[in-house]
Amino acid sequence: MALPLKYHWRHLLSRRTSTLLTVLVVSAVVGVFTWMVGFALALRGSLAVADDDHKLIVIKRGATAESNSAIIPEDESRLVALSDVATDAATGERLISPEMLTQVSLPRLRDAGRTSANVAVRGVTPMAFKVHRKVRLVRGALFDLGEPQIIVGAAAAKQFAGLEIGSTVQLGSSGNRPYRVVGIFSADGGPMESEIWGYLESLKNAYGRSMYSSVNLRLRDGVDPQNVIDEVEGPAIQLSAWTEPAYWSQQSGLIKAYLMLAGSLIAVMSLAAIFAIANTMFSSVAGRTREIAMLRTIGFSGRQVLAGFVIESVLLALIGGILGCAGAMAWLNLVGNRKDMFGMSTFTTMAFEINPSPLMWGCSLVMVLAVGALGALWPARRAAALDVITALRQV
Amino acid sequence: MNLRLIYLYHNLSRNKLRTALTAAAVALPLMIYVLSTAVVRGIEAYLDNSVKQLRLAVQHKGSLIYYLPAGYRARIRALDPEGNRLLSICGLRWIGGQVPGQRRPLSALAADHETFPQTFPDYEMTPEQLHQWMTDRQAIIVGRDTAAHFGWKVGDRITIRPSLPPYSLMEFHVVSTADKATDTLTLFFRMDYLQEELKKYPELEGRVGFYFIKCATGADLKEFREKIDAEFAGSLDETRTVDEKTFMNEFISQQFNLPRTLTILSGITVLVAMLAAANTMGMNFRDRLNELASLKAIGFGSGFSVFLIQLESLAICALGGLAGAAAPYVAFTFTPLKNFSIPVIQTLNIEPRVCVEALIVAAAIGATAGAWPAWMAAKLKVVHALRALE
Repeated sequence: MALPLKYHWRHLLSRRTSTLLTVLVVSAVVGVFTWMVGFALALRGSLAVADDDHKLIVIKRGATAESNSAIIPEDESRLVALSDVATDAATGERLISPEMLTQVSLPRLRDAGRTSANVAVRGVTPMAFKVHRKVRLVRGALFDLGEPQIIVGAAAAKQFAGLEIGSTVQLGSSGNRPYRVVGIFSADGGPMESEIWGYLESLKNAYGRSMYSSVNLRLRDGVDPQNVIDEVEGPAIQLSAWTEPAYWSQQSGLIKAYLMLAGSLIAVMSLAAIFAIANTMFSSVAGRTREIAMLRTIGFSGRQVLAGFVIESVLLALIGGILGCAGAMAWLNLVGNRKDMFGMSTFTTMAFEINPSPLMWGCSLVMVLAVGALGALWPARRAAALDVITALRQV
Repeated sequence: MNLRLIYLYHNLSRNKLRTALTAAAVALPLMIYVLSTAVVRGIEAYLDNSVKQLRLAVQHKGSLIYYLPAGYRARIRALDPEGNRLLSICGLRWIGGQVPGQRRPLSALAADHETFPQTFPDYEMTPEQLHQWMTDRQAIIVGRDTAAHFGWKVGDRITIRPSLPPYSLMEFHVVSTADKATDTLTLFFRMDYLQEELKKYPELEGRVGFYFIKCATGADLKEFREKIDAEFAGSLDETRTVDEKTFMNEFISQQFNLPRTLTILSGITVLVAMLAAANTMGMNFRDRLNELASLKAIGFGSGFSVFLIQLESLAICALGGLAGAAAPYVAFTFTPLKNFSIPVIQTLNIEPRVCVEALIVAAAIGATAGAWPAWMAAKLKVVHALRALE
């Protein structure tokens, strides 16, 4: 029979100040950790949607992203020669989507327009909807090819001002071409949901451009993307091609570096929390020397005593964890869970929301358990190794 | 030796493990404090240099990514033809760039070569370097940290592939590694070389990314910031003129509001250290209740107990503070980590000043952690305390 949970609980309550301070240490560390995990998961969730390996993103050789790529129309026309590009079953057209990328500065809703962010504007043809399969209209209508109209990604519509259906956005290189928002589209939460889409020819005109930024291709089923990439990068075409997942994993390098930095700082903080717990538990063991000896005498094994102290420590960490998670949630409610982060790919901002998810709670729980158990291990072993006779004699 | 110091030593060594764990729990957060503060200060120093340079940045009103006409150079000059107030105007154009076969992104900018030296005097070129810059069309100035990373020296020939048009490989000759400049990463080369290579892109040729203008005084800077925008108001390419600090700050905070995130993080981390130290002092107080009461009973005043507790708390935190400040200082000054660079911003330099500040923070943590036990000790009723324990 193990020691009852009530026993540990009582002990924690009997040393109120120490328990409270240790709980607060753990809660501060767990709070920061939960926030960071939420942030990382939200970003990762958005990028994980971009997993279509039969979609190729073709950019200029030497360019590092769509934002700094410029493809002249002759280069684009050479892509038609690729044999493995899918064709539309109904019309027989090849699924090749030339696209142009630019940006517009819009006020952020979350701080009532005190700051602005650059939002990507993508010029597309109707072909884009067949190449980017995840993009679909959720409200309103598609832009009319003859009218200055745009559709807006759901994430962008939530976070930036003036993007409701019916409102007008000033586009063009001089910011004097009014475009009306006629629809909202979803991209299953992927990065494109932070963009504004309009008709390619109309936007090329508004921005005085003749070049495309990128060309997106849909490959036929069963084709090895690498063969097509080799062909695109070969001597006949000389452009650079990426599958969608490869493109995004390369684009998120900077984000990953920041998350690594934040992660290592939190690891250091966790170590401090482990030391604080160890301190508390050592003191607890020292204060209960005779009691432990009693427990051993009445038949509890050293292993049970060890387990008991680990349980007590984990219990302590759990209270801290709950408090920390609650703190992180309160912070998100206070400051808002809507974030946007600069992305090199479009040289604009990527909007996302930090939402609590089972995975996020799971990560925090594992962290709490680890901190609690690691902090207790050394003191608990000391308790278990206690020399019973000496301890009983000691008053 | 002073009685109090002997007492302090015995108090610290009475529970060595506890003292060590607490010092470590203070040292680790202070390490984070030192690192975060160093990064934030690095960014601030960078921005402060921008303020001192009295430069205006003229960019396209729509976005930094749109180009401005080359003719704006002359029109801005016409606002102050004598050049007494707008000392020099330098057109710039960003091409990013990568060394073929290397992942590390570069930040290379084409600059008008005639006006670059006067607009960026902080680059302190020697007469010889200046001569090379003026006469060699393929001249390039490489920030010293970038140069160190690739092992480039003055006189080397280097190849860079621009990440923007023209995209084709460009060859340069390193004329300076900018040993005095605040910016240690950026590369500057000549605009005429870029424009030559851009002939294949008639749409982009001749255009300029943004203009940097060196002003004579702070008043000129303020005045022309508005005059320049007024000059181009209503044109097809309207401008947005800001001082260099604002320009850089927008660029840095756009990446990821790093200064703000780090400030919050280091605040929380100091709190963690404070709680951990307070916990220890609380436990020490509890364990020594009996002893503190005895001290009072034999005639030592409350002041003595308060002094003992505060001294111990300060000593533990000073131990932690020293370790927490010294570890990053040593690591980033004497080990290979000294070449560590934060993406886009700067090399991480840990200045002794930040370490001294960390010690002050450690002292504050110590004083706070000891406050409550000290107060309890001062209030201690001897009779109750002696009765309470055994």
